[in-house]
Amino acid sequence: MAEVQQNDGGKGKKGHQKKMQIRVDFTPMVDMNMLLITFFMLCTTMIKSQTLTIALPSNEKVDNVENMSQASEDDAVTIILDAKRKVGSMDVDTVNGKVVPVVYYYFGKPGGSEGLGDTPEQIAAHNNIQESEFLANDEKSGKARGIREIIQQRNKDVLTEINKLKEKYANGGFGSLETKEGREKAQAAYDEAASKVRKDENLKKPVIIIKSTPQASFGSLVSVLDEMQINSISKYQIDNMTKADSIMVIDYQNRHHK
Amino acid sequence: MGRVKIAKKSTFIDMTAMSDVTVLLLTFFMLTSTFLSKEPATVITPPSVSTEKVQETNVVQVLVNPEGKVWLTMNNDTSANWSNEKMRVALLDKVSEIYNETHKNNPVKFTDQQKYTFSKLGSFGVPLAKMGEYLDLIDQPEGQTKMDKWLEGDGDPNHPTGIPISWNQNEAQPNEFQMWMKAMRQSSNENLTSAIKDGTGVAIKADQNTSFDVVHLVMDNLQTIHMNKFTLLTALKGAEE
Repeated sequence: MAEVQQNDGGKGKKGHQKKMQIRVDFTPMVDMNMLLITFFMLCTTMIKSQTLTIALPSNEKVDNVENMSQASEDDAVTIILDAKRKVGSMDVDTVNGKVVPVVYYYFGKPGGSEGLGDTPEQIAAHNNIQESEFLANDEKSGKARGIREIIQQRNKDVLTEINKLKEKYANGGFGSLETKEGREKAQAAYDEAASKVRKDENLKKPVIIIKSTPQASFGSLVSVLDEMQINSISKYQIDNMTKADSIMVIDYQNRHHK
Repeated sequence: MGRVKIAKKSTFIDMTAMSDVTVLLLTFFMLTSTFLSKEPATVITPPSVSTEKVQETNVVQVLVNPEGKVWLTMNNDTSANWSNEKMRVALLDKVSEIYNETHKNNPVKFTDQQKYTFSKLGSFGVPLAKMGEYLDLIDQPEGQTKMDKWLEGDGDPNHPTGIPISWNQNEAQPNEFQMWMKAMRQSSNENLTSAIKDGTGVAIKADQNTSFDVVHLVMDNLQTIHMNKFTLLTALKGAEE
């Protein structure tokens, strides 16, 4: 292919003129092309970034406190994000340059129904904060672990319904999954049904309040928002830490991270 | 001479086919590539299960580095009416108008040349008082490199980078970051303004290790000017339910 054969008629009949074979060596060309390909491959963004939409409440002060929607004590779950601290100090610890997220949570009011109290002894006794972490499902059993397990327990009713819908979808209950159009239609029907379940007022579902210490990482905020999506939580909000929250976190850290 | 001669085989490998393949691949990558725009800070966005794709047009990207410095990128339609260049000039006009309302003693004004330079910028983010000086750099030899260096933070105290941002919940006295965002919202591109309204038009890009404090500052600033809905840029996490 890369050679040009010069045919001079007869086979070496006369004189010095031999059959000449001109071969073009393409190796450098390939080398150069490979370099260019490497360059373009590295410069290309093949995968588009994903986004996560969040809505926050307005900053305006609400004058009429009674108008504010209040979560009932039963339903409220407060999740406080924090970063792992170095032993014996408040500095953020990193592993391989990554901040390790720590999750605290409590149900209902800070300090439980009796309130937090004022003295350190009372605080220590009433502190209802618990520690957890972000964990993926168990690989073998597929069971939820960490904070996901806790959220799922609180959101059991909704998740059972959602799982029923998922099964229905897989069995073709929302339409045939054979063709592409059919799949899209079924997906749309499923999404609608699922969103109805998530918002169903008759089901018992938690209201999750997400709070974060200043040291917690942005990554952990995204992780917790992910958990909301994974566990079909319809009511959640991002809020500022209150004084009671800070006291409880510090009290917990003092007792457990010595 | 009845011996059978074993023909000497040449070790020459024909690279033509290989070359063909590489050229094809090269063409593919050249045509599909969209170049990474140069950004003043490199951040690794946190992984998430969200599969919503990022908008490429009509979006304002807020880049936050771990130290809390903020840069902006505005992407408009590619249509002639709302081309990036045209909209950036309009944006600069608008933001200087807002700025001059609260800085009557030292207003900023930009020449046509400076506006032209601004229209070519990808990311921007220097204090408005320094913007003129920054844009004038383009006329110097290696001006572009100098501008990039400034934006990345060259350590020169006269070259502050990042849009000034502070805790501020008073809408009447916006800080510069809020001024920029307000100017974006007031841009005449309806597609952009409606995208900002429904939350897809503002994207916060921050590193996964950035502390919540820093991100919260940006979010709080946006809340103050009633941009309560926005998106966070994430990377796709491996399939996991």
